[in-house]
Amino acid sequence: MQHLLSYLIFTPLFAAVVALLIPARQKKTFRVLTLLVSLIQIVIMTVIAGQYEHHAGVQIAERLPWITMELGQWGALQAEYFVALDGLSFPMVALSVGIMTIAVVSSWTIEKSQKGYFILLLILNGAIIGSFCAFDFLLFYVFFEFMLLPMYFLIGIWGGPRREYASIKFFLYTLLGSILILIVIIGLYLSVQDPTNSEELVHTFNVLHMQNPENIIPGSIFSADSTDLLGPYSFRLWAFLLLFIGFAIKLPAVPVHTWLPDAHVEAPTPISVVLAALLLKFGGYGLLRFAYPIFPDGAIYFSWLVGFVGVVSIIYGALNALSSKDLKRLIAYSSVSHMGFVLLGIASATVEGIAGAMYQMFSHGIISAMLFLVAGVLYDRTYDRLIANYSGLASKMKVYTGFVLIAFFASLGLPGFAGFIGEVMIFFGAFLSQQTNGLIPIWMAITATFGLLLGAGYYLWTIQRMFYGPFSVKVPVAELNDLDSREYVMLLPLALATLFFGILPQPLLNYINPFAQEFVETLFRSASFINP
Amino acid sequence: MNDQLQHIFQSVSLLIPEVIITISLLITILLGLTVKANKHVILKLLALITYGTSIFIIIQHLPGEPTVIFGGMMRIDAFSSYFKILFLVGGILGVWISGPQKDNSSPEYFLLFHAVILGGCLLASSMNFIMVVLSLELISLSSYLLAGFGFDKKSAEGSLKYFLFGTVATACMIYGLSLLYGFAGTLDFSSDLFVKNLIALSSPLLLIGGLLTLAGFLFKITAVPFHLWAPDVYESAPTPVVAFISVVPKLAGIAVLTRFTMAINLFGQSGYHWQVILAAIAMISILIGNLSAISQTNPKRMLAYSSVAQSGFLLIGIVTFSLDGIHFMLFYSAVFLVMNFLVFNALNQFEEARGQLDIPSFAGLGAGLLVPSLAMLVGFVSLTGLPPTAGFTAKLFIFGSLWGAWQQSGELILLSLFVIGLLNTVVSLFFYLKIPYYLFMKEKKEIDSIKIDAPGNLLSLILVIVLFYLFISPNGLMGWINKIIFVL
Repeated sequence: MQHLLSYLIFTPLFAAVVALLIPARQKKTFRVLTLLVSLIQIVIMTVIAGQYEHHAGVQIAERLPWITMELGQWGALQAEYFVALDGLSFPMVALSVGIMTIAVVSSWTIEKSQKGYFILLLILNGAIIGSFCAFDFLLFYVFFEFMLLPMYFLIGIWGGPRREYASIKFFLYTLLGSILILIVIIGLYLSVQDPTNSEELVHTFNVLHMQNPENIIPGSIFSADSTDLLGPYSFRLWAFLLLFIGFAIKLPAVPVHTWLPDAHVEAPTPISVVLAALLLKFGGYGLLRFAYPIFPDGAIYFSWLVGFVGVVSIIYGALNALSSKDLKRLIAYSSVSHMGFVLLGIASATVEGIAGAMYQMFSHGIISAMLFLVAGVLYDRTYDRLIANYSGLASKMKVYTGFVLIAFFASLGLPGFAGFIGEVMIFFGAFLSQQTNGLIPIWMAITATFGLLLGAGYYLWTIQRMFYGPFSVKVPVAELNDLDSREYVMLLPLALATLFFGILPQPLLNYINPFAQEFVETLFRSASFINP
Repeated sequence: MNDQLQHIFQSVSLLIPEVIITISLLITILLGLTVKANKHVILKLLALITYGTSIFIIIQHLPGEPTVIFGGMMRIDAFSSYFKILFLVGGILGVWISGPQKDNSSPEYFLLFHAVILGGCLLASSMNFIMVVLSLELISLSSYLLAGFGFDKKSAEGSLKYFLFGTVATACMIYGLSLLYGFAGTLDFSSDLFVKNLIALSSPLLLIGGLLTLAGFLFKITAVPFHLWAPDVYESAPTPVVAFISVVPKLAGIAVLTRFTMAINLFGQSGYHWQVILAAIAMISILIGNLSAISQTNPKRMLAYSSVAQSGFLLIGIVTFSLDGIHFMLFYSAVFLVMNFLVFNALNQFEEARGQLDIPSFAGLGAGLLVPSLAMLVGFVSLTGLPPTAGFTAKLFIFGSLWGAWQQSGELILLSLFVIGLLNTVVSLFFYLKIPYYLFMKEKKEIDSIKIDAPGNLLSLILVIVLFYLFISPNGLMGWINKIIFVL
């Protein structure tokens, strides 16, 4: 079983090709096929989990040469098909497999051109997992970009009334972010050499080589001794900034978050779920995988900026959520707020903060999926999402209300749910930072706590408005049924997962902790290597 | 005398592909006069066979030693052979998508195709200003006529505009060449004499002569500010012709521009910053091309501006003034040929099914004409430069070489070109996605009668596979290109 990760990535892509050949008349085949792919992926993931060992290194790796060419005066260029897992990517890949399965179940009711829909969903599935596994920067970029087009069509064709505006806005924002990343990739590969080849100069996209500052070619633009400045900063600092902006768009952080509420509100429920639970994670993932380890000097220099953007996102996102009239918009802004915590944790560059950020990314994946699903349940019945149009739902939809309460309480960070663990670790890290490494001031951590308060505010207020009081629905609706069995299948595993990871964090921390420790240690070691 | 004859015979033997095209051109005239029925099919087959044979012969002789023929008029080398193959492939694709012509004018139509390709093949190997002017004019005059093959008022107008702009550009170029000839004392711009005399010279007229000459070439490749003819001509000419003249004359212009700029740069010893000049032209071509394309509602006008921007990207390879840059430019040229034909082939299929279209009238056609729609999507994604298509690989390579050139020279304009060029991808996405957006996202108003055009679909499939293949494995083509040693 050497090619487990390749199976995981290419099963959906292969299935997409198969689906392309099935005539569009056989409508039900497509969703069954997609579900089958997800189930196969779960099996593969279980096998991988059995082989995975809890240490910080890269495992289950597969390497194949991809683009190799002589560049004459500059040596040679090498891009690889290099996929692997480590403590950062394993939880993300596991999350992706799980969420994609739930997204397929949630897509069961899609009626409009199923063939196209499920083919795009399969492509999206492969691209997401591929991006999380890629350890070659070019390969990552290719998978990363490959997600945009399916997402664009999924929002643009199957979305709500303003879908066209939302989809193109999503595409343009994200593409802008990826172009900034591409600029750095091009600069990096010309500055990094493969240390294993001593015969000639081989430029590599290998992330592990890029992370080691000793591999940077002396005299290149990203070398530490380069004294060239562009404006106030050296090129290394600029490169960090470009990566930070690129991934912050994806995260999304204030002020580049404006695509998110539109995309979320217009996207169909399953796509909102994928967007919130998985695509947003690339922001934090990209910082932890690329920006921080490759440019540790930039990370330390700009830690105040990362932290500040994080705190602004927490507060601004929460305030916007508080004033949202649309349920989906409220959840979208709560995502902005929660992703701000991820930034704060990363900025602190402490073991607790990094581990907390990773935990928060994982738990937000589960919780945001649940939030969008419960919003979707209501929308499926009434085709309306305005909070003000509902009151006293608890009396008619008891089980539904139960799940909503779980989702809301988990999201506002109540102890016992997964969201609490991540946030509390992030706060440990953020408060510790000033005395241990002095990267972010303590007032940032204090300000961020208000985010928790606001979070409790908008969720509790929403519960009060929508679920308590006398029953009334101000839109014409035939019947307000409680959850059906398909909705149970989606919501129950998520609810159990939030509780499980809230009560027993250790299984997940076994993956995260070795990585976080190694990450922080290497960060400061590399930074002192670059700026002695 | 005997030696001279020997030399001429030898020279002709290296020009077999061109000779074949010329013979085919003559046969086309004869067949046009004699054959009555199925004229179009016969001539189409003849053209395909001609181009196919020529490609085969060129590949047989690869990678030959660079040979100067006809007493310094031309040089046959891997660089020119590569471009000849691209022109011939462009010819095959152009002929493939050409339907029967109005008024029984197929013989003239194919004759002009042959003439353009012949001109391109000669231009790519020209080393002498006379040869450059002759072959460039062979291309130009033939394409002016081809542009008028719609046989209506609009087409005639486009053709005339093309002609008027073209003659002015040629006049400028000839004036510039006469200045350069005056200074250098030789018409052979690859000779040591040319370089030696120009290095010794410090007259601003050298700059003017060089710029005027560039004008002629930039006109051919539709670079700003010599792009004004493109939208009108593209809009009015028949689509297969547009597909053809947006690729073959442009790549021919790129080939001669590469040779000429390397010569006028005098191995970096020129007193003028040709790198900066070309970088500026590339930058404004990308900017103006992309920004103008946004507001277009006619697909062919939009593609005209897109072609202006693509010229900017092709120019980047020359701007680097490095062997790698030129290699990557060659790769980009091949990819450009494929993706451009992919889009125009699909557009042609739409026009055959639905008549002339503006962009909003593509609404909802995606379901009825699925293959052309998907082909168009892939073509546009590749033109934007997104993975998983070869357009991404080509852009990555060419911008990589630009970064390298900037690292070496430190010219800030190269960094600006790098950043602006990449950021323009976002701008270009906006208009490239317009047609796919109407195809797939707008609701269909009526049920379409679906007309399946099998050869067109087959071509789309082949081109899509090529684009994916060059993305997954660019090593093959790049390995081949890397063997091309560019000698001035």
